[in-house]
Amino acid sequence: MEDLMAKGVEHALTLGSYFAEAKGEDTIQRTLEVINGEVRTVSENRNLGIGIRVFHKKGNGFSFSNVLDMENIRQAAETAFKIARISSKKSLIKLNLKEIKPTVEKKVTNVKEHPKDVVLDEKKDLCLRECKTSSAYSKQIANVTARFAEYYGSIYFLNSEGTKVSYEPLLVGLAVSCIAKKGSTIVDARDVYGGSYGLEVHRQEEHTPETLGENAAKWAVEKLKAKPAPAGKFPALIDPQLVGVLAHESFGHMSEADNVVIGVSPLTGRIGEKLGTDNVTIIDEGLPKEGGYQIFFDDEGVPCQRVEILKNGVLTNYLQSRITARRLKMEPTGNARSQDYSYDPIIRMRNTYFEKGEWKKEEALQELKQGIYAIDTAGGQADDTGNFLFKAVRGYWIENREIKYPLLDVALTGNILEFLKNVDAVCDDLKIFSSPFGGCGKWEQSAFVGDGGPHIRVKEVLFGGTAK
Amino acid sequence: MIDKLLDIGNKIVKHAEKLGADESEAYLYVENLTLVKYIGGIVATRGGTFKGVKASFFRLLEPWIKRKGITFMKTGTKAGVGIRTVVNNSVGFASVSSIEEKNALKAVQEAIRTAKIRPPDPNWKSLPDPKQPTAKSGIFDQKVADADPSKALSISAECCISAADFDKRISQAMGGVLIAVVYEGIVNSRGIEVGDKGTASAGFCFTKAKVGSEEVSSGDSLFSRRFVEDLSEIGRSASRRTIECLGGKPLEEKLTGPVVFENITFSELFELMLGSSVSAINVQEERSRYKGKIGELVANEHITIVDDGTLPEGFNTTLADDEGVPRQRTHVVEKGVLKSFLYDSYSAKREGRESTGNANRRALFGPAPFAVQPRVGISNLVLEPREGSLQDLIAEVQDGILVRGSMMGVIHSNLVTGDFSVTATNAFRIKNGQIAYPLKPCSIGGNFHDSLKSVIGIGNDQKCCGFTGNVICPSIVVENLTVSA
Repeated sequence: MEDLMAKGVEHALTLGSYFAEAKGEDTIQRTLEVINGEVRTVSENRNLGIGIRVFHKKGNGFSFSNVLDMENIRQAAETAFKIARISSKKSLIKLNLKEIKPTVEKKVTNVKEHPKDVVLDEKKDLCLRECKTSSAYSKQIANVTARFAEYYGSIYFLNSEGTKVSYEPLLVGLAVSCIAKKGSTIVDARDVYGGSYGLEVHRQEEHTPETLGENAAKWAVEKLKAKPAPAGKFPALIDPQLVGVLAHESFGHMSEADNVVIGVSPLTGRIGEKLGTDNVTIIDEGLPKEGGYQIFFDDEGVPCQRVEILKNGVLTNYLQSRITARRLKMEPTGNARSQDYSYDPIIRMRNTYFEKGEWKKEEALQELKQGIYAIDTAGGQADDTGNFLFKAVRGYWIENREIKYPLLDVALTGNILEFLKNVDAVCDDLKIFSSPFGGCGKWEQSAFVGDGGPHIRVKEVLFGGTAK
Repeated sequence: MIDKLLDIGNKIVKHAEKLGADESEAYLYVENLTLVKYIGGIVATRGGTFKGVKASFFRLLEPWIKRKGITFMKTGTKAGVGIRTVVNNSVGFASVSSIEEKNALKAVQEAIRTAKIRPPDPNWKSLPDPKQPTAKSGIFDQKVADADPSKALSISAECCISAADFDKRISQAMGGVLIAVVYEGIVNSRGIEVGDKGTASAGFCFTKAKVGSEEVSSGDSLFSRRFVEDLSEIGRSASRRTIECLGGKPLEEKLTGPVVFENITFSELFELMLGSSVSAINVQEERSRYKGKIGELVANEHITIVDDGTLPEGFNTTLADDEGVPRQRTHVVEKGVLKSFLYDSYSAKREGRESTGNANRRALFGPAPFAVQPRVGISNLVLEPREGSLQDLIAEVQDGILVRGSMMGVIHSNLVTGDFSVTATNAFRIKNGQIAYPLKPCSIGGNFHDSLKSVIGIGNDQKCCGFTGNVICPSIVVENLTVSA
């Protein structure tokens, strides 16, 4: 693989380009879906190929091939060069790269029970155990879907400046979702655990299939008694999962430097400005010790740095590629990532999270007279001006500092920049989540990411109430 | 190319047989793709990227700058094979992003391995049998196949220029083209051997306008099986849509009343909700409200919905579906009455009936088709037009809302119950049959199935839209929806 990549890069240089780089990949994604104890889907996808990016004059071009022979790799290099030449003629600004010190490094991933060494039957067993626990929890559980997914393999990168790196990505996840029925009421709830771990993680009490299965069933049954959330502005306590999605979807995307370079991001030109309360610090990094998805290098071969985007409320950095770093006269941060070899690197997050604070969750809850405790989300949307809409999939109504009753799905809307100014307590229970079920979509690419945070309390958020 | 794909397909099927598979299927896919995105030079003059330089200087240079921009372009070939093997009534699946023989044959082994961990599926009967296609394949436009990346770039740039020229308040324009040439081959051990090719292109433009602290955005797009020669009208339309949103006022108070959905606006909700509800597998597994409702009124009596995989210009028209069953035309809803669900061979055999040719491997925002196992999906979902333009529909509304463009939150709707809660960023207040003023983003909540029954107007302005060009529908008016600020 690396030989072919080197030859492609070399060929691009002989055509007249001043810089070329190649990403090679041989990865496997496996998914298992078990519905009500019956293995419903098993699939395995192997992804291999090489992508080449070439810089020429003011432009750059990208092409790829998954036929791994000399002829096709040379062809890819030629196509990329041709595109770079065409782009150069239309280019308003020169898109070139910030100099970096070449890195030569090979990272291997060592975990106790790497999924590649574990037979499929054992993974099936994890799902069956989830199903068994959930179904046994209550007669009201009508349907249980358990899923296991894994992603691993090798990723290689080299460029014409002498950088040559490789690492072994690893991401596993175990999930369960339950549908509970009572009369005509149908509700659902789920639990999931994932990250760059070996399968030994599912022997820990907190993450066994039995724990996940029981949680999902318990939450689903509880939701049968849930009431609609009142609409309007309320103080809220937000759990680490939902906090993570807010950090990622709403704030993270705005801090991507490509949107800053073209002036689209509301954060453009605001480095040094105070955007949030003192207790808000937002980080994006490749190798957080708290978990998530471990990424060693980005797809420009830059080691993944820890970036403090927001520090004590002050905007301190953007997420950078080598191109944006050059434009903005800043440093690359290792945030240029591509979905796979067939996509050129664009600015992506790695693991984005709110840094922990000093509050205890119980204290934060104690000082909340009346409001909503919003938990987890099935997703949401955010636009590039910071407006967001997220649906919390669990929640509780709080009155007189006590959890009163469970709530049905409730939508939170607002603008993240206002949200950050309303954060009045940050707890100490930081968690980072990631899983190979889906990923973050930007433009036409999807990427695995992690996100998280501790419990956070805000003075007020707009809750949408029920759909009707 | 097709012969080569079928040849590898046959080798895969033979190999699977040798390794002990009772049945097997190879789906081969090759896609030549070119994607161009171009951000117009207008950014530099009106977006304020070049801080510290006098604006007047840039105004002088504007005609020159406007013709330049930031380009994102890639082209390449993606090929792969997805293999289904059946061992003892259990189906396994493996795929590899390669059509090289050694990689494909290795994937056969994996597919068999995955089949072996499943218990026999009591609902499994067999892979589909060969059947003579009744319609022609979709369009293959040589112009798409021959398109040069530089041509695609010029089209995108012209699109941005016409968008920027439309109005001085446009602060940003992004235009682009996507060109795809697809070759497919499907071979199974029961004798299916279908090869097909097709072309498609799409053009899109997104624009923003900024006046003081107010910022609005909108866009327009075009889907075609043929080569998209000129996107300047799409550029102008994107800008017109954006400018019309300027000066938005907040909705005075919560409103329950008629909402006019423009064709493209309704199409996304329609694709997700209806597509999911009429899928036979969802009905069989109790994920659809339409279970047991065949022959019943599920929509307003003027609504007729057809899934048509044979539509000549259809974005998803092919000789056969993604497991080799001929495409066909299926009446889903006729005059409000639910007529049929959509079936692939698995869900059809489960009920002892014929597949409707709706096996689908294309996943919305998902991986390449060869990496996806076939399941029920729409081909081209058509909501039959009636009469009147969008303007005519608006004229019938005394007190309501018009929603244009894409809405936020559509993909987070509840596909089982049909409940949705979306945010409309291109909304307008209608009073006395006329657009009174644009609205600041507002949210609309309701239930899709109830909405189909509460349709009070269907226009004649049908357009190929949806998330990926798979829906053809007109603008419609729905009564009694709740809109809040």
